[in-house]
Order: sequence, then C-alpha cells, then structure tokens
Amino acid sequence: MRYLIEHETVLEYPQAIREHHIELRLVPRSDGHQKVMSCSIETEPTAELASYNDYFGNRVDYFCVIPPHSRLVTRLKTEIETQKENPFDFESVPPAEEQEWLRQAVRRTPAMNDFVLHRSQATPSEIKLMELLKSTLPRRQPERPLLDSLLELLAWVPTVLEYRSGTTEVHGSLAAALQQGNGVCQDFAHLFITVARSWGVPARYVMGYLDPGICSTGEELATHAWAEALVPGAGWVGFDATHNLLANDHYVAVAVGRDSYDAAPQRGSFKGDSAGEQPTVKISVQEQ
Amino acid sequence: MYNGMPNGKPRTPYHEFYADDFTPRDHYRLLWDHIKATGNNALEAKAHESQLALQAEGVTFTVYGESEEGIERIWPFDLIPRIITAQEWVKIESGLKQRVRALNLFLGDLYGEQRIIKDGLIPPELIYQGRDFRREIVGIVPQRGIYTHISGIDIIRDEKGEFLVLEDNLRTPSGVSYMIENRVIERRIMPEFFDKYKVRRVAHYPALLLEALRSLSPRGKENAEIVLLTPGVYNSAYFEHTFLAKEMGVELAEGRDMVVVNDIVYLKTTTGLQRVDVIYRRVDDDFLDPLVFRSDSSLGIAGVINSWRAGNVAIVNAPGSGIADDKAVYPYVPDIIRYYLGQEPILHNVPTYQMTNVQDREYVFDNMERMVIKAVSESGGYGMLMGPSSTPALRKEFMDLVQENPRNYIAQPVVYLSRHVCYMDGELEARHLDLRPFTIYGEDIQVVPGGLTRVALRKGSLVVNSSQGGGSKDTWVLAE
Repeated sequence: MRYLIEHETVLEYPQAIREHHIELRLVPRSDGHQKVMSCSIETEPTAELASYNDYFGNRVDYFCVIPPHSRLVTRLKTEIETQKENPFDFESVPPAEEQEWLRQAVRRTPAMNDFVLHRSQATPSEIKLMELLKSTLPRRQPERPLLDSLLELLAWVPTVLEYRSGTTEVHGSLAAALQQGNGVCQDFAHLFITVARSWGVPARYVMGYLDPGICSTGEELATHAWAEALVPGAGWVGFDATHNLLANDHYVAVAVGRDSYDAAPQRGSFKGDSAGEQPTVKISVQEQ
Repeated sequence: MYNGMPNGKPRTPYHEFYADDFTPRDHYRLLWDHIKATGNNALEAKAHESQLALQAEGVTFTVYGESEEGIERIWPFDLIPRIITAQEWVKIESGLKQRVRALNLFLGDLYGEQRIIKDGLIPPELIYQGRDFRREIVGIVPQRGIYTHISGIDIIRDEKGEFLVLEDNLRTPSGVSYMIENRVIERRIMPEFFDKYKVRRVAHYPALLLEALRSLSPRGKENAEIVLLTPGVYNSAYFEHTFLAKEMGVELAEGRDMVVVNDIVYLKTTTGLQRVDVIYRRVDDDFLDPLVFRSDSSLGIAGVINSWRAGNVAIVNAPGSGIADDKAVYPYVPDIIRYYLGQEPILHNVPTYQMTNVQDREYVFDNMERMVIKAVSESGGYGMLMGPSSTPALRKEFMDLVQENPRNYIAQPVVYLSRHVCYMDGELEARHLDLRPFTIYGEDIQVVPGGLTRVALRKGSLVVNSSQGGGSKDTWVLAE
C-alpha cells in the first residue's frame, strides 16, 4: 500500500514562552515492511532541524525556538509504501523449541532485555496487574505455538477494556484505564505488552498510523498504538488489541519503545508558564 | 575485619598510628615525639587556631534532613594528620589507576557493543534494571572514550592493614575542596613538620583538573570556555563548587544561566551569549537535560545532550557514568578488571552479598545485626542500615524493602575500619576512618597524592560521611 500522511501539531500558549526545545518522533521507520518515499517537516516559526537515531532505532528530528512565542506549529508530510501483506507467512518453530529460540534472541541482542524486563506505570508488574484486574492473567499454552497464545491474548484484551476515545490522557497509567474499564488504543497496547512480558516474551510498544478504512466509526483520526511481540521464526509481529487484528500493510509504524513514553511523537521543554498549553493535532492518512 | 563471617567475632581494627599499645608506627614517630614533648596545651592551641582558620576561610558544608533547606556548618577538621607511606601509596595509586581504566572501558562497552553482557560475565538484568543505565546516550562516544574524568573512589583498611575499595564514586564525587583546605590549615598550624616529613603536594589539583577539562574542548585547548554547572546554593557541595570555580578561574553557572541554540551551548553574559566548550557539571544525570531526562528539572540545560551528541560540547563526567558505580555492579568490578585488562585487581573489594541471590539474601536476613545494607543508587550514607546499631523495627523495615526490590540493595559484613588518633576535647582518642583519593583522567590517569580522610567522630561509630556527623584529617602521602 502507499499512503500520504500529513500530521500537524499546533501548540498555543496564553502567555509567550521562550527557549523552546522540541524532539519529534514522526518520521515512519524504514525497515523490511515499509519504506519512506518522501518526507518533509516544516515548523512555524521556522527553525533549523537536526536529527539522530535514538536507542530504539527511531528517527528523532529536533529543533529549538529561542525568542518568545505563543504558538508553535510542526507539520509533517510523508509518503510511505508498506509491504507486509500476510503476517502469518513465516516459517514457524516447533512449540517445544520456541522458548530456546527466544532465549537465544535475547542473548544475541542484550537490548532485547528491555522488552522483557521493563516495568512502568504504563506496563506494571504481573502482581500489580492482577490486583488491578482482580483476576488472574491469561496463560500461555506451552504445548501450542506461541502465536496461538498471543492471538488469544489479543482477543482477551477487549474483554477487559472497552474502547472510548479521549478517556485517558497521553502517558496515562494503565491502572487508571483498568479502574474505569475503558481506555484508548495506548491502554490496549500496554495491557497486551504487560501480559506478554509476564510470559517472558519480548514485547514492545508501537506508535504509528492506521489506514482510516480500518478505524471503527466514531474514532477520531489520531496516531494509533499497537504492540509488537517477538514470535519465534517470524521476528516482531504487530498485535492491534484495539481492533483484535494483526498489523499488516494497513499499518504504518513510526516509533517503538518500551512503552508510550519512549515513543511519544512530540516532546518539548521551554521556559515560561506552561499553564493553559493548548495542543491541537490534525492528521490525515490517504491511500495513494 | 568481617564481623559477619560465619563464626567470626570482632577482632581489633587496624591502628594507623600505633604498632602496639606503646609504640607508634615508624612513620608516626616524629609526630608522636613532638606531641609528647609539647603536651596537650600545645595541641589545644593548635586546635583553636584551626577552628579560627576554618571560620575565617568560610569552609562549610550543608547538612540535610534536619530542616528543609539544610544547615550550613563549619567543616569539622582534626589536626592530627594521617600519614601514608610512599610504599603504601604505590599500591593505592596503581590500584586506582587500574580500576578507573577498567571502569571506563566497561562504560564504553555498555554503551556500545555490550561484549561483556554477550560473553555472559554481567547478568543483563543488572544493567537493564539499573536506574543509571542511560539509554539516551547509547551510541554517543565521548572524547577519547573517557566517561569518568573525575573519580573519588573510597578506600578503607581492614584489620590486616590491607587497603580495600569500599565504593566507586564516579558521578559527581565531592570532597576535593576539603582535601585542599585541610592542607592549607595544617600547613598553618603544623608548619614545622612539612620540612621534616617529605609530604607530597595536593594544591595542584585544580590545575590538573583545569588541564584535563581544557584537553576536552571541541574547539581545542586554546579556545576552551569552561563552565562549572552547579544545582545552586542549596546543594550540600555548593562550597566546593564555588571553591573549584574560583581556583580554576572558570565561570560558575546554574542551568538557567545557559541556553542551547542549534546544538551550541551558550552562557548568558551581560555582553551577550558566550559559547561554552566544556561543562564540568555537578548536577546529576536525572536533572541535566529536561528534554531527554526528567522533564520537571529546572536545574539543567534543555538540549545539552543533543549538543554533546553533535560533538559541540564536552560534559564532565559523561552522562551515564553512574551505572559503573551502581553498588549492584560493584561486586563485579574485579571481574571487569580481569575482563578488559587481563590483570588481577591490585586493590580488592569488600565481600558483598547480592540481594537478588536467594541464598545470600537469607544469610543476610539471619545475620542482620552484623551487616550493612545499602541501597544501590544512594550515596552519602543515605538509604543505609548499619546492622550493629539498628533497632528490630528498622531491620524489619529493611527486610521488607529488600524483598520488595532485591535489585536495589546489597549487603556487606560490617567492616571495622582502621583507626587513628584524633584530638577530641583535650584528649587523644581512637576513631575509625576511611580515605577518598581523587583521580583525574585527562590525557592520562593521575591520582593526586593525598585525598580526603574522613573520620567517624562519634566513639565507636563506623559512619564517616560528613552528612552523618563525620569529620576529616589532612592526609600526608610521603615522598620517600
């Protein structure tokens, strides 16, 4: 698939702020499944952009606006081609060998430990999660392929969380969502990740875009979030718990991390009064 | 002296000053003869003089915990010097150089290829669950691969007189100003001894540090604008920050005095922005850059990490150094030395129990009265249980803390630090002490011959931290 994505963020402040530094994680990843064909970022006021690749391999574009300003706009325009058509198309590993396969993968790449060990407000410990759910967690079936257990987990998430747009803040805790019984796509992804990690399976958070054709009605078009789990024989496989789907070429991955904090699309720091910061985000995803 | 060993019972701590009850060690004889000859009145006069001098010089430190903003106190100084022979110093110096070299290679590896983890020498959990492993700096290689330009490694002496490393301080170690001030005072009150003993100098520390800082300037030594970044007047080491800035002739600044514009760090001056090449920061990683670390920090400089990545500024010590002095990594340092240098450690560690190990943990819980339990990311004597002086309630509290987060704690058998005579209210009495020498890693590694000797002023106490009622002595390293 080929998409044209536009993503505009407007930050407005009642009182002018200054020495504003911004980091953007907006440019989609280029990997075996997707390729960035073109990409541009504009800012208002205009600024000099620089970039680097962060620890998780995300491209970060950053800039600063030093003089006082009460409005800051960033605008991304990118064309992207996605290739993954069938997420089930891989050589599977016999269930009895899967755990060893995962162990080796983590051993070869120590950084993979983060996706097993990391605990945070968004991805709490197993004990904490059971307290919140007031029940036990779904179990992995060791005699069956891991993918089967992950698919069951995928179907389980929407049974404990109801989708409601705008119910939790960005970087909100999973606890808040579970207590209310509803949340946004981030919470769905975090819940999936938390359970997968409790099984010892590397799982990470993905922020990106989704083909608007997939979105259920009533969802505002925004960045989407899903989970990726390391599946023996396949590598990273995307699990969209909000829609109970495996990620395919309708999904455009932008940034990955241990949880939503690592993959936040925009992060900033400035001098001045932060009260009344008004962000407005406009996103369009068009199939080409 | 490991009181916590099975069947062990406290033995006599090593005495630095006396060889036995009646005779001083050879290198103290001169001093001892003099004290005997002149008597307590002369000592009293010298003690009084040193007090006045410390007040006049304004040598202070700040204690927290008693009040919100901390209390500023006059630096406690004991006039009887601690003497280290040339032979003893050779071992300390070579041991520290070896340790600092290995720990820097370790940091470069952790933030690079991670060979030591892949080879199975360090459990990955130790690093990935460490609070001070900074993912934000992975892939950045500091100038010449040096992370810890300044180290203040604490050394103690066991009952056999062997020097052991107690902990590695590689973040923003403090105390060097007191090392220098102690010498200034001692020279004033005991000038006669400096000729008789060939005492090596320590006063050149600021010059050595300045040279090391200049050597890191991305624009070359000749154009090195250096800033000492302080968290501000409420920091317990603020005295030291002002002292070092003044001695080196560099700007003392807070985060709000600086700004990053397009990857260049500037100091805001009355005549406009002035480019900064080297930041000697005394602000912890967490607070250094609100854009990448704690976003609520007002002590740092937004954008400074990106500027560092771009190679436009040097940060001393390098961000991320803290993982190497994490107390849970400490038990691995001997292996780290063997792994990177292929050498046996010259200075040994204190035996350490890891709370993540179930057997170790149970042993420690059964012997808590004989253990010191330390939180791995704390320093300055905070977050610590001293077994022998603890209450049952406090031991229970620590047991719960350890069980909740075993990665966060280590335990060591109580080490009866060596003792030395101190002049306490008109009497010469024995007190426990340790030693913090300072190591500078610039173009090469240098250990300043001396250090800060910290003394536990309360009788029988083993806690030497100045924040916990410790004092200090001038430390004489002899040239021959």
